[in-house]
Amino acid sequence: MTNVASDGKALTSKKNFSRETVVSIDIQANKSIIWALLTNAEDYSRWNSTIISIEGDVAKGEKIKLKSVLDPKRTFKLKVKEFGAENRLVWGDAMGKRTYTLKTVGDELTNFMMTEKIGGPMFPLFAKMIPPFDQSFEKFAKDLMKEAELIQNSK
Amino acid sequence: MTNEQFTNEFEKARPQLKAYILRITASIQDSEDIVQDTFIKASEKIDAFRGESSVRTWIFTIASNLAKDNLRTKKRWTENVTDICREKALSNPNYFPEIMKIQQTSQQAKFEIKEHINFCLTCISKSLPLEQQICILLKEVHEFKVSEISKILDITVAMVKYYLHTARAKMIKIFEGRCALINKKGTCHQCSELNGIFNPKQNFEEEKNKIEFAKKANDPNREYLLDLRLKIVKSVDPFNSNGSDLQLHHLEHNRKVMDNIAEKK
Repeated sequence: MTNVASDGKALTSKKNFSRETVVSIDIQANKSIIWALLTNAEDYSRWNSTIISIEGDVAKGEKIKLKSVLDPKRTFKLKVKEFGAENRLVWGDAMGKRTYTLKTVGDELTNFMMTEKIGGPMFPLFAKMIPPFDQSFEKFAKDLMKEAELIQNSK
Repeated sequence: MTNEQFTNEFEKARPQLKAYILRITASIQDSEDIVQDTFIKASEKIDAFRGESSVRTWIFTIASNLAKDNLRTKKRWTENVTDICREKALSNPNYFPEIMKIQQTSQQAKFEIKEHINFCLTCISKSLPLEQQICILLKEVHEFKVSEISKILDITVAMVKYYLHTARAKMIKIFEGRCALINKKGTCHQCSELNGIFNPKQNFEEEKNKIEFAKKANDPNREYLLDLRLKIVKSVDPFNSNGSDLQLHHLEHNRKVMDNIAEKK
């Protein structure tokens, strides 16, 4: 799913053994602000209504503990798999991975894309138990845009 | 720039610079040393000064770098620093006799709530990541522009804005949870406790109402309350106020307590 409109609307595609959700949005802010927001674990819950908490350091090879509004009783133990400064961040576990990519598309204009792919041989067995991500992805993108643009426009 | 011009500029900036370094390090000795080292370093580099920024910005840049070097290996303080240090003060039999001695011997040992607010912000700001603390102090207390802070810290304007925004958000959250002046459920009553000890004849409610942000505690605009708090901090020279000897003693005490805790860990 590489050709996604940058309108903040989430799209999900399903296959027998996997499911992928993606959202993309253009944010009127410098890439470094967005990157800083995405990599400051402690600060997430302040601006992001989809995250209850993230513990740990968002840095290459580090493990983090994430609690999401979507499944508040669960703590996801994830590993930061890629950390390409201001460009690409990937975290995940054996079941799936979340990828964030940032691209400068204009003067202080940044495209943000977030993808989550979950799957594996056992995926058909538990697929129905996993809630849809679309709404949560759209909220995430909207919250990020609001916070980043607020910072960008501050004096 | 001649040596004389530089010295004049430096002396003009010195009180602000010393206060700034004290607020970052919480150490009287370190602030004196860093200010002196800044003078020496800058005076040796006068020829390299191209006037791309003001002399004041240049001096603060050198001092900020020295302060960052000084703090690189030191742990940040915790949000509950005033609780920890209060306990330690109460269990230290020398603490109050020392204070009484200061009160008897110093002309600058009056307890004023606004000065304690300045002391409190210094302590709380040390729980922020260093970049956030430096940005908020430079912008909101020492009145540098975002573009000047970008030069001082050698980071982009965007990152200065990010650090400022997150610093402010964190300060608002901490004071909201702790400061009884703005929140009835706030856990910290230190300024009223100390005012009761040092100024027993004063009516605290009356004194509290002289503090603008306490008077407007119910204002839903918490950013505004933080601005009012920072305005008080801006008005206090921690080395030359009515109660500077008293507040500097408190600050030294807190720094020693926090240093000891960090060493034990």
